Amino acid sequence: MPSAFQFQCHFILIFLAASKGETRYLEVRDASEDEPFLLLSEDLKRELSAGQIYRRSLRCIDMLSIEGQFTFTADQPQLHCATFFIGEPEELITIDYDFVNIDCQGGDFLKVFDGWILKGEKFPSSLDHPLPTSQRYIDFCESGNIQRSIRSSQNVAMIFFRIHQPGNGFTITVKKNTNLFPCNVISQTPSGRFTMVIPHQHRNCSFSIIYPVVIKISDLILGHLNGLFLKKPSAGCAGVGDFVELLGGTGLDPSKMFPLADLCHSFHGSAQMKIGCDNTVLRMVSSGKHINRVTFEYHQLDLQEAENRKENSIEEFCFPSI
Amino acid sequence: MKIPLLVSTGILLVALLPCQECRALSKSPAAAPGALHQPDFFQQQQQQQQQTLPVLLRMGEEYFLRLGNLNKRPVGSFPASSSSTSHLQPEAPASNFLRAALQPLPERSLGSPEEGEAEGEAVEREKRSEEPPISLDLTFHLLREVLEMARAEQLAQQAHSNRKLMEIIGK
Repeated sequence: MPSAFQFQCHFILIFLAASKGETRYLEVRDASEDEPFLLLSEDLKRELSAGQIYRRSLRCIDMLSIEGQFTFTADQPQLHCATFFIGEPEELITIDYDFVNIDCQGGDFLKVFDGWILKGEKFPSSLDHPLPTSQRYIDFCESGNIQRSIRSSQNVAMIFFRIHQPGNGFTITVKKNTNLFPCNVISQTPSGRFTMVIPHQHRNCSFSIIYPVVIKISDLILGHLNGLFLKKPSAGCAGVGDFVELLGGTGLDPSKMFPLADLCHSFHGSAQMKIGCDNTVLRMVSSGKHINRVTFEYHQLDLQEAENRKENSIEEFCFPSI
Repeated sequence: MKIPLLVSTGILLVALLPCQECRALSKSPAAAPGALHQPDFFQQQQQQQQQTLPVLLRMGEEYFLRLGNLNKRPVGSFPASSSSTSHLQPEAPASNFLRAALQPLPERSLGSPEEGEAEGEAVEREKRSEEPPISLDLTFHLLREVLEMARAEQLAQQAHSNRKLMEIIGK
């Protein structure tokens, strides 16, 4: 029997050693393969990657959601121009200056803003962004030689530029990087589904949808995932460190929007709301003591749905902008 | 003999001093349509520009700040903006800018104390003002339009990449 037991132990050890060796082989294969096309020959891979850099010229007012190299050349004095960048919720934007030919002394400027700013309203708001507003502007004329690569803190960024002399301009390369825990997001589309997780971080995160939407929260967990400790506030959400709020408004800044609903109880199910505002924001406030998670879906509120108003319809809270 | 030597030395020094005002930054020569490096400024002209341009630049920023403020008149020079959002003639801001820019210049010609005072005032004004509101006066409707254009471009690019991949795999 001892010999049989020894045989079993040896067999287990041999099996473990063999599987470990096999795993190492797979890891090596995975490590060497960033490109997904393992079966292609070298010539075909070269052909595929040859024209993969997307290039086009920029307009004075433009928006980019893809990677590539983009060039702006002024054909006339362009004094008020901006380019918006937006990615998927789990992406960060990186802007590299490839070539810049502007006359800073002559009044030209080229500034990157970490976020979006529209009519003076910023996203993320000053309350939700780690940097003060002044540091969110990175001026090429001040720091161009030092900082040629700028990465955003969320899935949106923008540049402002002014060029007086025709023929002057710049070229930038836009890349995207993965963000493991997206915090502040502007949705590219009027419909979608998203799960926001704040793992033991003392921060506030906003998800903005710049359309009138029907939003359905299907899962909200405020507290430890294992359920040993959950927040049980006595009355409402006042004084609660962790909660989710729905905001609606006509601007971009969540701190200037109207609170429509507070959620500070964990639940599993669906809570649906129709919000007819130009901008709908789901904002999670997290104390950092727990792991908080919320899952929600949304789709655009069409005119027919807006007319059939039932409970949870809050269109009347959105006033036109002054 | 010494004087010509000193003069020639001075000219050489002036000619060889690095020009830091020009910002023609090039990383890849191929990516520069119509790219011309900024011409080197003569040192004296550069010094004069340094004396006058910082104030103009600050005044320009302040002007742009005023335009970007929500409570003030909106920017009216975007061709894509709807007529309801702006009713300001494009020439009016330019004339305001010229008026504002011209005002401190006669003071600056008096000498360095006034010059420093004007610069100090401009710096203080800038500090006292709210967060730099360089922003775009664009409606949500237009923002959605450009967003949808960007989305269409992304889908077209993805379709192109998929088509190319299928062509390559089919070879």
